[in-house]
Amino acid sequence: MIKITNLEKYYETEEVQTIALNKLSFEVKEGEFAAIMGPSGCGKSTLLNILGLLDDPDGGSYLFNGIEVAGYNESKRAQLRKHNIGFVFQSFNLIDELTVFENVELPLIYTGVKPAERKERVHEVLEKMQIMHRRKHFPQQLSGGQQQRVAVARAVVNKPKLILADEPTGNLDSTNGNEVMDLLTELNEAGTTIIMVTHSEHDAKFSHRIIRMLDGQKVTENILV
Amino acid sequence: MIKNYFKIAWRNVLRNKGYSLLNIFGLAIGITCASLILLWVEDETSYDESIKDKNLVFKIPTNQKYDGEWRTFFMATPGPLAGVLKEEIPEILKTTRLRDQDFLFSVNDKNVKSFGAYADQDIIDIFNLDFIEGNAKEAFNSKHGIVITQKVASILFEKNKKVIGETIEVDRKHSFKVTGVIKDLPDNSTHHFSWLVPFENFTDGKEWSKDYGSNFTDTFVKIASGVNVDEVDEKVRAILPAKTGDEETKAILFSANDWHLRDNFKDGKIIGGRIEYVQLFSLIALIILAIACVNFMNLATARSQKRATEVGMRKALGSGRKQLIFQFITESLLTAGLASIISVIGLLLLLPEFNLLVDKNLSLDYTSPLHVFSLLAITLISGLLAGLYPAFYLSGFKPIDVLKGNPKNSWNASLIRKCLVVGQFATSIVLIIGTIIVYQQVDHIKNRNLGLDKDNLIEIPAAGGEIIKNFKLIEQELTSTGLVQSTGLMNSHILSEGNNTSSIRWAGKPENSDILISFRTVTPNFFDAAGMSIKEGRGFGKSKAIDSSSVLITETFAKLINTDDVLGSKIYWGDDELIVTGVVEDYLYGDMYGNSDPVVFFHEDEGADYMYIKPTEGVKTSLVLDKIEEIFNIYNPGFPFEYNFVDDSFNSKFKSEQMIGDLSKIFAIIAILISCIGLFGLSAYMAEQRKKEIGVRKVLGSSVLKIVKLLSKDFLILIFVALLFAIPLAWFIMHNWLQDYAYRINISWWIFALAGFMVISIAMLTVSFQAIKAATANPIKSLRTE
Repeated sequence: MIKITNLEKYYETEEVQTIALNKLSFEVKEGEFAAIMGPSGCGKSTLLNILGLLDDPDGGSYLFNGIEVAGYNESKRAQLRKHNIGFVFQSFNLIDELTVFENVELPLIYTGVKPAERKERVHEVLEKMQIMHRRKHFPQQLSGGQQQRVAVARAVVNKPKLILADEPTGNLDSTNGNEVMDLLTELNEAGTTIIMVTHSEHDAKFSHRIIRMLDGQKVTENILV
Repeated sequence: MIKNYFKIAWRNVLRNKGYSLLNIFGLAIGITCASLILLWVEDETSYDESIKDKNLVFKIPTNQKYDGEWRTFFMATPGPLAGVLKEEIPEILKTTRLRDQDFLFSVNDKNVKSFGAYADQDIIDIFNLDFIEGNAKEAFNSKHGIVITQKVASILFEKNKKVIGETIEVDRKHSFKVTGVIKDLPDNSTHHFSWLVPFENFTDGKEWSKDYGSNFTDTFVKIASGVNVDEVDEKVRAILPAKTGDEETKAILFSANDWHLRDNFKDGKIIGGRIEYVQLFSLIALIILAIACVNFMNLATARSQKRATEVGMRKALGSGRKQLIFQFITESLLTAGLASIISVIGLLLLLPEFNLLVDKNLSLDYTSPLHVFSLLAITLISGLLAGLYPAFYLSGFKPIDVLKGNPKNSWNASLIRKCLVVGQFATSIVLIIGTIIVYQQVDHIKNRNLGLDKDNLIEIPAAGGEIIKNFKLIEQELTSTGLVQSTGLMNSHILSEGNNTSSIRWAGKPENSDILISFRTVTPNFFDAAGMSIKEGRGFGKSKAIDSSSVLITETFAKLINTDDVLGSKIYWGDDELIVTGVVEDYLYGDMYGNSDPVVFFHEDEGADYMYIKPTEGVKTSLVLDKIEEIFNIYNPGFPFEYNFVDDSFNSKFKSEQMIGDLSKIFAIIAILISCIGLFGLSAYMAEQRKKEIGVRKVLGSSVLKIVKLLSKDFLILIFVALLFAIPLAWFIMHNWLQDYAYRINISWWIFALAGFMVISIAMLTVSFQAIKAATANPIKSLRTE
């Protein structure tokens, strides 16, 4: 599903050039659950942003479902993103002015789903995430675990082929963290490809494969199952 | 999607109440102000709309050349001109003369003074007069027929009564039969009249009115449609020289489209008029609206960090930039919409006061498509004006930067914000300086030496009735009471242009000189009553017969005669030889900003228009007025007692300037208020943003004063930059404005210093409120929040 070859990304200030990704190559197959680990600044999040089509690589190739997307412009990336990719962030990134229902509904609005169908799909996913009873609440009225469940609900409501999770349990206690990891596992078992960036060895064990990075390069790859 | 935008917008309004209030309130003030100005502009630009074929209707002033310069005079065409224009110029279909007058109407025991005009029958077609009773064809058939307006009919006669054929006594002397009742003329008509009678009533018995020697009436024409106006104008210009042989007096066409807004002539050509004020205030409306919109822009971009996450997330979820732009514009439109609702309430509350200020009867008409559309348009314009830049700015955040916790934007919002604040304050400063200068100029003129004493000088209309006939008795009675110092008659209003001629001659007058000399007829004590001083010689004696060939002249006239001893010099008018027996100090009349023409005074009471009365010093005016009324009731029976103070007439001459001053003052206050509302919000956000820095500085030992200085310094610099732009701009604008006035002030440096001091003080007061609040907060709290 995803194949990157010699992917490069640099960050430049006036005096210093930092290499974030240094000719990185790997492949993630459809239905796989991959964890990316490494110390801070090793390029994990940069990689995730490029995989999520939020950022451009400076070199190399990125094949998404066999299509080269490395040179896509913003609007093409947005099109591809909204139909195929769901995001889960460490800091949830829910929109404070929208209720739980409306936050989850948002991706459906952007993909042009009709209101009746939207309602049905949002309810379905909220039920699944066990936060239906909180649908009219605003994010600030929820606990961290509940907020992350909403974020996961928002990520999956469009039935994306790929979920990118950036430290999804980073802001949660262990009980809530495990719940979120269970949710991701369930989604993966239902066929969604998941790529997760994490510092937590515990969370990484939920995946099928751990890719370890250092200084923008892959150092090891452990297959767990 | 739109529903979602509105939902978000509404929740944002509710969530950030303080910020929303600043925005909505600021915009509401701007929209209210702009709407008031637009109502005024609408009224000003819709004058004479009741004339159906306005493009075909013209007034005929005359251009007359004196000392090489063309001067334009209204109410200054000779009697035969109207008839000749219709006969000799085929393109001219209708013509009428119009000379206005006050009449006292009496029906049974009702006495009403009413302003109307002598006119010819064609006035009905030219002004599209709408007959409610009677008909246009027969209304002018009889010399003693009178057409009255609905309002006059309702005052004189019972309600619903048919009044055709009813008799009205005029000035207690003549009887007129009502031949028609017309609809009242709209308030915004240049020419008003409440009655019309055939013109012969004025001209009969006045042989002079039938030749070309006297200019005493207005003339109006209506031309055929589709003809070339310039060609007709050429023909009109040729008529008077052909009839009189005088190439220096020409009738011209003056379009009804220009009567109200472009009636200022120089060298025979239109150079402007009220249109300049209409343009100026339209511009001010736009500027005030823009100043209000700037607040929205600045606050929106200043607090953009708070919206960045939302933008980033929406983009990550698939939103395009267009959708985000649309969302942010929806928010600004919602704010503008809420502001408009408040504005409508504001308009309703402020309109009565505004009407007093501009002396109009403006109203907001919910059924008028123009008003509804204009309000919607203002809302839309301000919403777009305020929202476009923030929309582009906010939607420009890249999701990747936002998600990294480092939202960046390619626009330099801080610099743009600074520029906008400078713009706001520069505009406010220009308005403040402008206001001070307008007031100073009006004050300068009002305190000018007029050559007469207008204070407590009473004026009473003397035409009609028995005042002139009984003047001597009235004068005697009044002075014998001890309440009145002196009294006199004059054949025109003391401050108005009055009659003039260029045919007075004297020894040594240059051959080709055609200087205009004003002539006035007065009674002997007039000069004393008016506080005018006789510099040389004597005033008029008691007997008119003794003074039959004596005249008094003003100092300027004496200078023209240019002789060592002007007393006893001879001047000539027609066949009359007149001897100068006194010289009166120059006095100001007509154009209060310029210099008045020379004047010659004759001893005469016939034809007087006004009586002037100077009460004895120290006597209560109300007591004097009661006594005057008592005496007038005896000697001018049946006529209501009317009076005015010359002081008020004088002040009314500055109505336009006074209004401009008052409006500029209000707009300057509003501009500075809106700017400060923006500054208040901005300083609050700046203080919030620097909370951590302030906390650290305090922990390290900084004093409150130092922190207040630190926070205020940036804003103070902006105000100084605004002053740098505003001062030369204000000087340039006001220097040009003053050039229109011959008698004017010099712009002093202290005006700029005062405006600068005012603005800096107000701005610092606004900013220091937030700065002190931030500086006195407990640093532990701000550090803990980090």
